[in-house]
Amino acid sequence: MRIFWILLKKELHSFFVSPVAYVVLALVMILNGFAFRAALSVLESAPSEGSIVSWTFHAMWFWLSYFFIFPLLTMRLFAEEKKLGTLETLFTAPVRAWQVVGAKYLASVIVYCVLWLPSLFNFKFSSWISAGQVEVPAGAMQGAYLILVVMGMFNLAVGCFASSLTSNQIVAAIISFTLSLMHFLLGIFIMVVGRKISDSIVDVVNYFAATEHIRIFTAGLIDSRPLAYYLSLSLLFLAFTHHVVEFRRWRP
Amino acid sequence: MIDVQNLTKQYAGRTAVNNISFQVEPGEIVGFLGPNGAGKSTTMRILSGYMPATSGRALVAGFDVFHQSLDVRRAVGYMPEMAPLYTDMKVKEYLRFRAELKGLSGLAMRKRVGEVMELTGVNDMRRRLIGNLSKGYRQRVALADALVHRPKLLILDEPTNGLDPVQIRQVRDLLRNLKSKHTVLLSTHILHEVEQTCDRVVMIHQGRIRANDTPENLTRKLRSTTLLHLELEGPGNLAEKLTALPGVRKTTEEKLIVHPWRRFTLRVEPEHDVRDAVLELAMKQKWRVREMHRQLPTLEDVFVELSMNAGIPGDIPTHVL
Repeated sequence: MRIFWILLKKELHSFFVSPVAYVVLALVMILNGFAFRAALSVLESAPSEGSIVSWTFHAMWFWLSYFFIFPLLTMRLFAEEKKLGTLETLFTAPVRAWQVVGAKYLASVIVYCVLWLPSLFNFKFSSWISAGQVEVPAGAMQGAYLILVVMGMFNLAVGCFASSLTSNQIVAAIISFTLSLMHFLLGIFIMVVGRKISDSIVDVVNYFAATEHIRIFTAGLIDSRPLAYYLSLSLLFLAFTHHVVEFRRWRP
Repeated sequence: MIDVQNLTKQYAGRTAVNNISFQVEPGEIVGFLGPNGAGKSTTMRILSGYMPATSGRALVAGFDVFHQSLDVRRAVGYMPEMAPLYTDMKVKEYLRFRAELKGLSGLAMRKRVGEVMELTGVNDMRRRLIGNLSKGYRQRVALADALVHRPKLLILDEPTNGLDPVQIRQVRDLLRNLKSKHTVLLSTHILHEVEQTCDRVVMIHQGRIRANDTPENLTRKLRSTTLLHLELEGPGNLAEKLTALPGVRKTTEEKLIVHPWRRFTLRVEPEHDVRDAVLELAMKQKWRVREMHRQLPTLEDVFVELSMNAGIPGDIPTHVL
């Protein structure tokens, strides 16, 4: 466990000394600003059932930031070490593969969580500046940030796996972007086409449709099924990553 | 300290290391010598627990490199070829990170990192980013990293690669000083280095061990190839008469330089010194001699010979070994 913390500390250090974390942070803040503004203008134009929270996370701007974050955060995790050759130095120190994979993954999850902190401020600030006129329901906030973290954990695990496959960061980014996008589009596509075939398909697809999860959670409903879905898939992709990294040691 | 038995490593149909066996005793400095692509790095990677062998067995400090990989890695300080380092860390930061990974902590860790920085001469650079260091300094940071946990065995893959002559001498002196505390296995393709630093040389070529002896013994065995260069003047078939001398294996006549002078090269048996006999013969035959020069071969000659001999395994010319 001690080794794990040392590695985690080092990974966090590399995130914050490189410009990547700050660039992504700036990007997410800008896109969040747009998403927030879009939500405000919806509420301004007409009375609405949804809260400011749910409208923010339904904005196109939110999804735009959503897809850029994961490849940017995870592409260098393994690919850079392979390129530099430091994987060899790393694995000739007494460390286990799961410690390395776990530390890299957890570091990316922590950085990812930090990215969403400024958006919390948007909601608090709007409620304060309008003297409570803009309502920010606590349940919607909790639901929204819970599903954000859990969806993030899944996509970061996918990115981690993509990075372990190659020594080229660009290739890693493309693989992780494609996998995340495919997962997202599968939900959208079948939902659109499925209505024409039968409603029962839609029910099935809703289990893994990211838009549907966001809709439920930002309404303040916390459903355990998407949580279990994302967490188990994260574990699966981390196991894949572990196997890819460890494969070197078993290849005869 | 190291016990390698019938180790073989194949990559995608190519045999990088072919059934090698050798031992390294505690306290020895052993040089792993061979041309590029001979299988040195592969063997070292297997010994450091980075990759498994296809077949065979290797024990390092009493631990099996495959089944007890973590114990092996704790006992070994490994410096990979090209010294890969995290370019976004500062020297001291990096060495502290590595020391902690290898089980040091607190004050002892800080003290030890200070020691190895002093020892390897990177102290002045401790606040610099590794990415901004020159090749020589990076190499030394990698060496400091290999040393930091006081390993029983140091495995250094081309430790002087890319250094200037002054730095090479410094590293060599450093290795000599380390001898009392560590066993060292280092690889190189520079012969000079081996002759000066190592107690023993393991020569490897095309994945097979071609020689395993002290540098002195190797050079002594080499004396068998002693060459004698002669320049003389005389009539008839001189080569035949020269070859008839006891101890002379072969005589070759080289191209005429200045008429009537003739140039010969004699291959002489190890225990014979034929210079007196040649002179006596020359006086008896009334030849004129204007040059006689004996050439003792260096390790370099074996190396070149081995490298050129890309042939069948075990195909080392008998006059070389």
